[in-house]
Amino acid sequence: MNGGDVLAIAGLTLCIGAAATAAVVPVAVAVAWCLVRRDFRGKSLVRALVTLPMVLPPVAVGLALLWLLGRRGPLAALWEATGVDLVFTAWAAALAAAVVGFPLATRACEQALAAIDTRYESVARSLGLSPLASFFRVTLPLAKRGVLYGALLCFTRAIGEFGATAVVAGIIPGRTETLALGIWSRVQLGEDSAAATLGAVSFALGLTAMWAGERWLRSDSP
Amino acid sequence: MTAPPHLVSVALKRGRFELDVALAWQERVSVFFGPSGAGKSTLFEAILGLHPATRSRVRIGGDWLEDSETGRRRPTWQRGLGWVPQEPTLFPHLDVEANLRFARPDAEALERAVEVLELRPLLGRDVRELSGGERQRVAIGRALGSGPRALLLDEPLASLDVTRRANVLRDLIRVRDALELPMLVITHDPDEALLLGERIAVLDAGRVVASGAPADVLWSQAVLPLSEALGLENVLEGRVGPGEERRLVTAGGVRLTLPVATAAGERMSVGVRAEDIVLAVDPPGRISARNVLPARVTRCEPAGDDAFVHLALEPGGERLVAKVTTAAVHKLELRPDTRVHALVKAQAIRRLA
Repeated sequence: MNGGDVLAIAGLTLCIGAAATAAVVPVAVAVAWCLVRRDFRGKSLVRALVTLPMVLPPVAVGLALLWLLGRRGPLAALWEATGVDLVFTAWAAALAAAVVGFPLATRACEQALAAIDTRYESVARSLGLSPLASFFRVTLPLAKRGVLYGALLCFTRAIGEFGATAVVAGIIPGRTETLALGIWSRVQLGEDSAAATLGAVSFALGLTAMWAGERWLRSDSP
Repeated sequence: MTAPPHLVSVALKRGRFELDVALAWQERVSVFFGPSGAGKSTLFEAILGLHPATRSRVRIGGDWLEDSETGRRRPTWQRGLGWVPQEPTLFPHLDVEANLRFARPDAEALERAVEVLELRPLLGRDVRELSGGERQRVAIGRALGSGPRALLLDEPLASLDVTRRANVLRDLIRVRDALELPMLVITHDPDEALLLGERIAVLDAGRVVASGAPADVLWSQAVLPLSEALGLENVLEGRVGPGEERRLVTAGGVRLTLPVATAAGERMSVGVRAEDIVLAVDPPGRISARNVLPARVTRCEPAGDDAFVHLALEPGGERLVAKVTTAAVHKLELRPDTRVHALVKAQAIRRLA
């Protein structure tokens, strides 16, 4: 394993993490908003479902995704009709990372939205803004820090994802091999020093992301 | 007679609290008075259309905003009501100017509001660094800047300390006099109600218990227990006389000696507590009280061991109410039309605005 391989694995990991985060954050904000601002039957069940990927064994999450994406699952007709096959691709890895990152992002967004006094939104409406406009001009800016913190948690969880990814994306060098998968396969092959190198890169990436994020979020910028 | 331009008829239930209010009025400035928990803020939120209600008919300035009888209903953002709720009001992620411009404002209305409320020096400031009084001025300016059909102020002075209250109260009086806008003001402070209102509705436990001219209602026997507990006192307005910087001259021609000198020509409102007024039937001789005001008794209302003696001050007939013991009423044989002198120490006069 040369330096180029390490870079490629790290690059793929970051891309998958970024794609997963970009997909998760808008959904997390929307789900969190419904949970905080709306009353509906079965709310606690929805909350439990949102949290589920966090407490399930990641391998089980992977199995569920494999079933959903597979040719024998409930969406088989869709895959058949579109000719799309996500299993064992980087997209499947991103999906797995998104699913396990989703609860973290949603929880953070929920907390951020719950901390906003709804009167700000009422005032915005009285000043002539529609609910949608007041969401984008008042609610979201006020929740910005919490949302970004949720994105950071989701991203760092995504780049460390292993169990679900291994099941649904496999460990295909150059296509789906992320840092976590790379470490596992090197350990299996007895390539201890290569495993240690990838481990060190994982460590550095995770630490940098959290440290930079924490610093920025704790800074006084409004 | 034409229908009054303002009408609010609302019934709603929130948890155990029930609000059922029906009011119609002609006057431009209406005060909603009552203890906390009476439903005043909830009534405002209903007028704004923020809560579902079982009955909701709202007409402001002659325009229907909602009528549950005909089913028409404008959403909150199309009602054009300039609402200043209790704190928190200003958007913390925006500076003062961005707060003022938040609503794609009516440029002319905003310019006017900035001028009347003297907001120009505050424009670039971070709202988190403003004092309570400044925050309130900006919030009022933002509401006015949206070019509203009416201004809704919810306890505009409640979060302020005594000195700032006087300043913001003066600002509110200026806004009231400078603009032709209908105003609805919530307060639990009788001074504010008397100074700002042309009309008052007293709310208690979700119901209107009295309405009418502010001084008549607040001094009425039915409302007195409540208004007195909330600090009702006599309120007199006037200008500091030219060349007499310790003398306040009211519209009715009453001349009051003030405890401190004030710039001549300045408009001023003062408060005098009913229990600080001494009544004398004969003109007092040498006496330390600086204000000896000739008056005529208009009515005496007993309240337990005490009595409220309503006076018409000469020459203009302005109302002054003195609280004395029933024994004093009997001893002095006070009854309607008795001529008396109301003695008020200069030190008992407190500036309100």
